[in-house]
Amino acid sequence: MVLLAKIALGFGATVVMAGAYTFREGLLRVDVDESRTNGSHVHVWLPAAVVPMAIHFVPGRKLEEAGVRAGKFMPLVHALAKELQKYPEAELVEVQDGEQHVHIRTHNGTLLIDAEEPGQTVHVACPLATIDDVSRELAAFAPAS
Amino acid sequence: MTSRTRHLFPVIAFLAAASLFAPLGIQAQTNANQASTAAHGDRWLHVRVISTDSKGETVKVNVPLELAEKVLPAIDHDRLHNGKVRIGCMDCDGVDVRTVFEAVRTAKDGEFVTVQSNDADISVTKKNGQMLVHVHNKKKSKDAQIEVKVPMKVVEALLSGSKDELDIVAGLHALAGQGDVELVSVKDDENTIRVWLDSKNVTD
Repeated sequence: MVLLAKIALGFGATVVMAGAYTFREGLLRVDVDESRTNGSHVHVWLPAAVVPMAIHFVPGRKLEEAGVRAGKFMPLVHALAKELQKYPEAELVEVQDGEQHVHIRTHNGTLLIDAEEPGQTVHVACPLATIDDVSRELAAFAPAS
Repeated sequence: MTSRTRHLFPVIAFLAAASLFAPLGIQAQTNANQASTAAHGDRWLHVRVISTDSKGETVKVNVPLELAEKVLPAIDHDRLHNGKVRIGCMDCDGVDVRTVFEAVRTAKDGEFVTVQSNDADISVTKKNGQMLVHVHNKKKSKDAQIEVKVPMKVVEALLSGSKDELDIVAGLHALAGQGDVELVSVKDDENTIRVWLDSKNVTD
């Protein structure tokens, strides 16, 4: 009985430790909802810490393609993410046009983008540290200019 | 395992688990301290556009000047390179903009241009190191006003680059050194536009 309790405790502690490590950088969240018939509903919730790790499992050819397409913007994205980390709580942009609403802000070191219009809502939350990491990784695959 | 250590085991396990989370807590606290330190003394450029039409469009933009200074050099697009904009008309129609600016900069304070017509009243004034442009559009409404305030040091910094270039980063750096100031104010029947500088990262 005592042995079982020890195993359970060890297992529980491992799960807690792994969970704390995985979620230490927060969550990457993408929610897209279209309220029309057959509209898409996309909900992606990922621990942000796994994203830079996952890049290492992407085939090199695909990363090179991404580097060619987006690489030239990565220095800008990297600079922006790095600087925005100095402003963990900031209201950056808010646009209200009738029923359309776009809101970009940082909260707890996470970049939040909310866009709403009749029939469609998009919410994106991404830790700035993750954007910084990913932009650095992709910049390495950008063709030399 | 003795009965004494058996009783201590849950306590040790709890302390071990607590120690796992401790670094996270400390890191969060450190980040918060860094954030408050970084926020101290920051200069923010604010833009507000409020439309009075039926849709009630509003645009609110808040940009930390330091962020803009660091990010602009990373943009390499069209005429913008390394934080500088290449403009092809610094010598527009034979008017040397730099020479005109130098003349205005060294001139004493005063009202340089006054235009009064049936359509609009326009005045350009230099006062306390700032260039003030005031336009009263009589055609639109009684209260249709445009006011632009440009610190001379900002213009000087903008023109500090090579010929045919505006050094935007230098301009932003000079702007950050200014006190709280309203740079642009446009009011008419349809829109209210404000561009101003202060140390607050949130507004109304």
